[in-house]
Amino acid sequence: MTRARRIDRGPGCPFERGAQVEFRFEGRTVQGYEGEPLAAALLANGVQVFGRSIKYHRPRGPSCMLGHCSGCLLRVDGVPNVRSCEHACRSGIAVERQRGWPSARTDLFRTVDWVYGRRLDHHEMFTASAAINRLAMRFVRRMSGFGDPPSADPPAAARLERFEAEVVVIGAGAAGMHAALALAGEHRKVTVFEADPRPGGRLLDGACRIGRDGGAERGWAHLAGIEEQLRDCEGVELRPGTPVLAVYQGERGHEVLASNRGETCVVDAARIVVATGAHGQIPLFENDDLPGIFSLRGLDRLLLGWGVLPAQPVLVAGGAPAVDLAVELVERGVETGLLTDLEDARIAELEKRQVTVVRGQRIIRALGAKWIDRVELGPEGSQTPELVLDCGLLAAGLADAPAYELAHHAGCRVEFHSESGYRVVGDERGRSSNAHVFTAGHCAGAPDVERAIESGTRAGMACALSLGEDPDLARRLDARCAADG
Amino acid sequence: MRDRADLVIVGGGVVGLSLACQLARMGFCDVVVLEQGYLCFGASGRNGGGIRQQWTTEENILLMKESVRLFRRMAAETNYNIWFRQGGYLFLARDGKTASTLEANMKLQNRLGVPTRMVSPERARGIVPGLDTRGVEVCAYNPTDGVLFPFPALWGMAKVATQLGVEINTYTRVTDIQTRGKQIVKVVTDRGAIATSRVVNAAGAWSWQIARMLGVELPNKPYRHEILVCEPLKPFLDPMVSDLSDGTYFSQTMRGEICGGISDPEEKSSMETRSSFRFLHRMCRSMLRLLPRLADVKVMRQWAGYYDETPDGNPILGPVEQVDGFIQLNGFGGHGFMLAPAIGRQAAEWLLRKVDHPMFEKYDLGRFARGEVEREIFVIG
Amino acid sequence: MAKTIVCRCEDVCIEDLKLGFEQGLRELEELKRHTGLATGFCQGKCCIAHAARFLARLKGGDDMVADPPRTRPLLHPTPVYRLAGELEAEPEGDGEP
Repeated sequence: MTRARRIDRGPGCPFERGAQVEFRFEGRTVQGYEGEPLAAALLANGVQVFGRSIKYHRPRGPSCMLGHCSGCLLRVDGVPNVRSCEHACRSGIAVERQRGWPSARTDLFRTVDWVYGRRLDHHEMFTASAAINRLAMRFVRRMSGFGDPPSADPPAAARLERFEAEVVVIGAGAAGMHAALALAGEHRKVTVFEADPRPGGRLLDGACRIGRDGGAERGWAHLAGIEEQLRDCEGVELRPGTPVLAVYQGERGHEVLASNRGETCVVDAARIVVATGAHGQIPLFENDDLPGIFSLRGLDRLLLGWGVLPAQPVLVAGGAPAVDLAVELVERGVETGLLTDLEDARIAELEKRQVTVVRGQRIIRALGAKWIDRVELGPEGSQTPELVLDCGLLAAGLADAPAYELAHHAGCRVEFHSESGYRVVGDERGRSSNAHVFTAGHCAGAPDVERAIESGTRAGMACALSLGEDPDLARRLDARCAADG
Repeated sequence: MRDRADLVIVGGGVVGLSLACQLARMGFCDVVVLEQGYLCFGASGRNGGGIRQQWTTEENILLMKESVRLFRRMAAETNYNIWFRQGGYLFLARDGKTASTLEANMKLQNRLGVPTRMVSPERARGIVPGLDTRGVEVCAYNPTDGVLFPFPALWGMAKVATQLGVEINTYTRVTDIQTRGKQIVKVVTDRGAIATSRVVNAAGAWSWQIARMLGVELPNKPYRHEILVCEPLKPFLDPMVSDLSDGTYFSQTMRGEICGGISDPEEKSSMETRSSFRFLHRMCRSMLRLLPRLADVKVMRQWAGYYDETPDGNPILGPVEQVDGFIQLNGFGGHGFMLAPAIGRQAAEWLLRKVDHPMFEKYDLGRFARGEVEREIFVIG
Repeated sequence: MAKTIVCRCEDVCIEDLKLGFEQGLRELEELKRHTGLATGFCQGKCCIAHAARFLARLKGGDDMVADPPRTRPLLHPTPVYRLAGELEAEPEGDGEP
């Protein structure tokens, strides 16, 4: 529990945080910074187990740090199942873990996991007789549920606003912001919703680089530039911290439902640009759910964004994004190992700096009681470990899974790609199968930030063009698409 | 897929499977069930799992009572958990007319052995802590009503039927039913044909299409019905709460989720299954009005299914005049799931042993032409 | 052998998917209903791609999992109070019992 520490976040970090504050964690007083994610503050305080899983009572901890997964759910001020990676740390809040008896940290119901080592079939258990079944139902009901019902004073209904928008852009990442800029450049009115309190998407990753090698621009720097441009844009209204919950197709056209703490809005949108990015994916291996295992972007956000290092050494596994992250970690003096199949000058440089680089191996299983402490590695397809590495923190990444969901709500066609999952189908101008919906960036399969930016610009232009004829714009868009064939 | 069968059941929903399961248990296994999608594809996999005996006609009350009895044994009989929980149903009446209807219903239900009782708003708050009873005149409460999980009930019945020799074909769409004179000879599907002389139309929202293949016009129309589910929380709500003024209903599942829906008088008949903001909004407003402590409970998901509605709110059961061996088990509106075990059993008795039941006369298709229609007024949602 | 968890929200492990497939479940929609996959707090963001890959391998081709399960609103679990505000000009039906 003493291994966790805070590290220097480096220059240009776009995440603002306030003064140090105190809050209550299960009766004890702990410190955090005002405005940082609660999960980060708790990890910095050495908290490892955040809760227990629904069926096997396996330990759970944060892993995506971006409000996608369910690992960091906590009870905050009497409200159950609050995503602590999204909830800002404030002075005086009261935070508790959920599930587990006698506690989430030491949970005797974990024995369920061991007794049913392979799997537990909840469909057929307790069905020997009607009497046994009825008795079991009582027990199951008591065991069920994730957290106690809310105990705080119930809030009144939030303000609900309904308005019309010419264009709604969903996602203020690289693609979404460039789409908004392109639309504003054509004098279109744009409302941009972003789930994260901080716009930027992938540009917020500390390891994000635009362009490789010598001329690479840091994502953080690019973001500062584009935010300045957006500020000067009259037609763009940016609503950060306001996730879009649904896109409905109905008699009145497309309704976009978005909500934040203070208000909810339903937008009748003439056009929608879906630029929702992608969800970090952790590869499958035994105990892949152990606390201390993060997606690459999750660890990036935690370490580089919020400066919290829960444990060392860190093992980073994956392709080019993993190498990017490893380079940054080594740069900050974090004890780092790299598991990759790539070979390039940067990796050679890391090896020169005594960084352990392992090639040709896959993670077979993670080991550790409540937090990862070792990983067993072996060749692809093998279940016999050849190598065991000490590992206090693991960031493992497959290709991120495109966030196709909202486009799917809108009836857009999606297609499956085995390396990354489902993605929105869009042409080179970002046109989806729905004439009112355009798509850009990682959700439509853009492989990197440069191409996400370009696809955003094109989708913005194509979207503007769909709202009214403009031969000049059509020519510019044609030229842009012709430029790279 | 078999190429002949004594009986073909069109529709692998709860009604078709319940019948198949009962027939198989009686030793009649030369049955093929045809389902166009996966099991749970239709309304049987899209409902809230409410099971109540608080109805307004003697037939429905007795059938539901029988269903409850069968549901109580179902998990043990099929070796499949259906998570049936008898937490009761609490109906809220906000005006005198509804209150007196509830009172009359209660008397009928009591006479038939259903322990419904009228409870005051104050007493209702004891049953549902936090219930906002402002404007509520009186409530009707039956502790033996309940909720279950629809999916596993289907899987369990399908498992038993299959084990006993019934063939269930999923992803098999009926494209035609051929006749010779008034006799059915063959059911044609996109995966081949089955020679048979008897067909049960248990196709739910699609039953009017199936009937039309034989030139039979059914008065049933499908209506979208939407529903939502919230995050799973520790038990805090026992009964299904239903407000009769707007058709809201919600309960807590065995997993701890609040699950429910609301009537929409503006819904037009359609085959639409997309979700709407209108429903989400109306439902959340109603939940917040009834139980303010739900304010901070998170909505997880919303979806839609069908009510296969007849003009009088009662199902269409039994043979039809135009075609021999064409048996209807459809038009169940929003209460097919709760009726299915009893209906399946009675229909099996009737098919195999010619045991008659008044419902086959009362709920036959001919009643609409004859004008003998008694409306079931207690269709919620 | 320790479990390989595909869906952390609902504790669905790879064995559950394997067994489901052996029992004849051929589509993601079926596996989803049978195992609870993708119905938890993340609503499938962390598991659908894994499950689809797994199923594609068993069925012998990416085209066998061409469609994801129907994506249901909401994308993020959202408290009732945020969805229950008063909306002007929204026709409120009377409903009938």
